[in-house]
Amino acid sequence: MTMEWWLLVEKGIWFGLASLGFAILFNVPPRTLLLIMVLALIGGMTREIMLHFGIHVILGTFAGATIIGLLSVWTSHLKHTPPLVFSIPAVIPMVPGVLAYRTMLGFIKLASEHIDTSVSQTLAETTSNGLKMTFILMALAVGVSVPMLISRKETFKYLFEPRKDSDKN
Amino acid sequence: MEGNVNHNRVDVKEIGLVLLDIGAILMSSGANTTRIRTTISRISEAFGYSTELLVTHRAIMLSVTDSAHHSFFSSLKRTSPHGVNFKVVSGISRMSWRIVEEQWDVEQIKVELTRLESIPQYPRILILLLVSLAGSSFCRLFGGHVIEMGIVFIASFAGLLIRQETIKRNFNPYLCVYFGAVTASLISGLSVKLGWGSTPETALATSVLFLVPGVPLINIFIDLLDGNLMNGTLRGINGLIISFSIALGLLTAMIIYQI
Repeated sequence: MTMEWWLLVEKGIWFGLASLGFAILFNVPPRTLLLIMVLALIGGMTREIMLHFGIHVILGTFAGATIIGLLSVWTSHLKHTPPLVFSIPAVIPMVPGVLAYRTMLGFIKLASEHIDTSVSQTLAETTSNGLKMTFILMALAVGVSVPMLISRKETFKYLFEPRKDSDKN
Repeated sequence: MEGNVNHNRVDVKEIGLVLLDIGAILMSSGANTTRIRTTISRISEAFGYSTELLVTHRAIMLSVTDSAHHSFFSSLKRTSPHGVNFKVVSGISRMSWRIVEEQWDVEQIKVELTRLESIPQYPRILILLLVSLAGSSFCRLFGGHVIEMGIVFIASFAGLLIRQETIKRNFNPYLCVYFGAVTASLISGLSVKLGWGSTPETALATSVLFLVPGVPLINIFIDLLDGNLMNGTLRGINGLIISFSIALGLLTAMIIYQI
């Protein structure tokens, strides 16, 4: 059991490092880097824990992305930066890269292969991989925008600090 | 209403042009449509004007009016795709609040915009190293081991370098992605060909992940959920072409190596 927890933490660290690379690529402000890594670690570990308990990868990804989305509201207040600056780099490590690769490989196979018995299996696998990939991407996007969707607010600025009189115009 | 307004005497044309600039910069830096809309109307309300906005993938159109409809300004600006820059998105968001709270005038906004656009990116070598490290992390997450991680590191480094160089030389953006994908998968494909490591396929699959258009892909669904169907669809097609460029790069390497 202890070994499993160590593996979980190790995966969390890789999630953090992957998000760091993309954060730098997207040119985020330096003050947000550490929190992006922490968010990616928490979100990634949430997904891994859910996968460990046999929950489907789409639902697990949605849970991870939702936690990242909710936490990004709080971090955006801490650092005075829009929530998306935190949440997008943090969910990037959950992008289904290998599924996308396999889907494409399947397409190539389907386009080149002679029609024989293995085609139906390739077709089934490719469809499954492609759909899974699409649903995971949607889960990421919906999860990240959960705070916006449930609050129907255009800004979270007044969630943590009272609205000043001068703003009410 | 009039008493709360910052500078009612600001010329409608002046504020309109600044708002157009802000919208175009936000669009090029990877902000979603609702954010652009919110930011523009927040700033224009601070100056006592109301703004109607049409945001599309490559152009922004806006008309500014005052409450009494005495003055009116309408204009159109093309936006250029520059790539994601969250320092600018974040800086403009902060600026919009300071315009409201500290009652900035148009000159201050112009100075701040120039400053934001001239903020340097991270050092190039740091970008290359950390993105390559991110590639290795991906490889580890998908079950790769030390050898595969090393290969992915080298492949991502070379791929990103080629992509940056081709962008500098003003190639077609999709072609830049293709060149990056070919370079990365030629390096990682070599390890598959020679059978290095225990799961060489992982190396090939994760070596091109640094090219995945993460921000456009997520912006697709955010725009669609907000009801900006046209922008969401356009972004989707853009993301699709980028994905196909990556796929084509991988395919080229696979055909060369006969994997």
